[in-house]
Amino acid sequence: MEPILLIVCVLAGGVLASLGVHLLPVGGAPAAMGTATGVATGTVMLMLGAAMCGLFTASSVAAFSDNILLVSLSGGVGSWLMMGVTMLMANLLYVFGTGIVPVSGRVDVDPITGESQKEYRTPQCDGHGVPNVSYISGMMGALLGGFGGAIMYFGLLNYANFEPTMAGVAATGIFVSNAIIAAYNIGGTIEGFQDPKFKRLPKALLTCGVISLLCGVLVWVVANLGGLGGTM
Amino acid sequence: MTVGGGPVEEEKKPEGEGFTFPPEATQLGLISAVIAVVIVIFPGLPAIIKAAGLIFALLWGADSVRKTSKYGLGTGVPSIGVLAMGYGIVGALVGIAFGKYVSIGTGLLQVQPGVLVGVIAMAIVGLISGVLSNSEKVIGMKIPGLERGMMELGMAGALAMLLQFSIVAGSLNFDVVIDKAISNGLIAVMFVLSMMAMFHPYNACLGPDERRPRTLMVSVEISGLLCVILGIALAATSTSAWGVANGVSLIIFGAFVWGYFFVKFVKTAMREAYSTVGTGLIKTIE
Repeated sequence: MEPILLIVCVLAGGVLASLGVHLLPVGGAPAAMGTATGVATGTVMLMLGAAMCGLFTASSVAAFSDNILLVSLSGGVGSWLMMGVTMLMANLLYVFGTGIVPVSGRVDVDPITGESQKEYRTPQCDGHGVPNVSYISGMMGALLGGFGGAIMYFGLLNYANFEPTMAGVAATGIFVSNAIIAAYNIGGTIEGFQDPKFKRLPKALLTCGVISLLCGVLVWVVANLGGLGGTM
Repeated sequence: MTVGGGPVEEEKKPEGEGFTFPPEATQLGLISAVIAVVIVIFPGLPAIIKAAGLIFALLWGADSVRKTSKYGLGTGVPSIGVLAMGYGIVGALVGIAFGKYVSIGTGLLQVQPGVLVGVIAMAIVGLISGVLSNSEKVIGMKIPGLERGMMELGMAGALAMLLQFSIVAGSLNFDVVIDKAISNGLIAVMFVLSMMAMFHPYNACLGPDERRPRTLMVSVEISGLLCVILGIALAATSTSAWGVANGVSLIIFGAFVWGYFFVKFVKTAMREAYSTVGTGLIKTIE
């Protein structure tokens, strides 16, 4: 049973990482100049930062608890906090530093709050800052991504009997590989679930599923051949 | 055919000014792979020789990053270096798990070809991810040679990680590596610095006047820094057959490599910047 649970945990982690990346408001270089919606950095940095924060909280909780849901949710909350603070600080800088209004570049009306966006968009620009819909989407992405990273960590720790450090680093390695493949799918920038690029999601889920399945099998091989007790 | 900007033409500038690497991409890959593979299967070698293998493995990785991200990935150059080391960690774990099953001899003359299973596994995973990323029906990145690039990056990452395990632990046995290189957290330093050695050169040097030998110098320089840090860790924790001298010699070797290539890079950059024609400031519109 344990090999299946391990592979399922790694698979779930990889697929959730891919889904999380598609929900984050990633602006990239244009956002650094305030001419695109999102946080002004690459997908890898945002998702790696969120996943690392999630792994810190998850590993702290995993030291006291064996409950898979508790550990995974604590990981989700860790990355949630990190992304929330990052997006808030980015917005403060955009609004009070650069003097631009957070506005979506892809939709004319905010699908959640119903606020009009079109009038506030500077001509020749692709939106600015982190508007409400992107903020909510980013929070959902961070929660899912952090949950995925933590469930992978839990699987490696308990079903593969890795050491905590080894489980953390291996989970980070598999997680970032999947996050990067997902980032290639969106071409580097996305502003949340309202972005038309979000429709490309199934392709990334397929690729990340295949890759994390292979990584899950390899990790199971490591646990079995390396002689870490307890697996089968 | 290509996506985004970036110089697509390969080295049209005359070579010979400053430092040059004679082999082109394929030759460099083959030479580095053979050297790194030969060194990695002898875990009993002194650390300084393994460090030379590590420099070649990271050089191969940096060259693959350059080759792949020349066409514009859309997510920035660092992403593919991080991907390489993400695969590298999984590959190195698979390698050390297989190490004890195919092992000849003991002590300093031990040969462990089994660790190469991890490198081959990562070549397969890298190839599959490259095919899926480049395929029109799936992600469709349309980057020429992405399949080969991702395969090479997975292999280079796994080899670099195995060599670093071998340097720090002095062996490639699963339990020894976990005890001396992984559970004390050194693996995080290795992860970050070796991905820096792969992605930083092209990330820092890219632009219209980028030249391959100059870019690869940065990779060797960062590998020197990595060797200094590994040497300090080795001198502090070493219990291998070569004693403390192993760590101290690695620190001296790393410092020498770092200093030599740093000076060389700065001089080359200054000389080549001198010959670049200035275009003046952009005219302001009143």
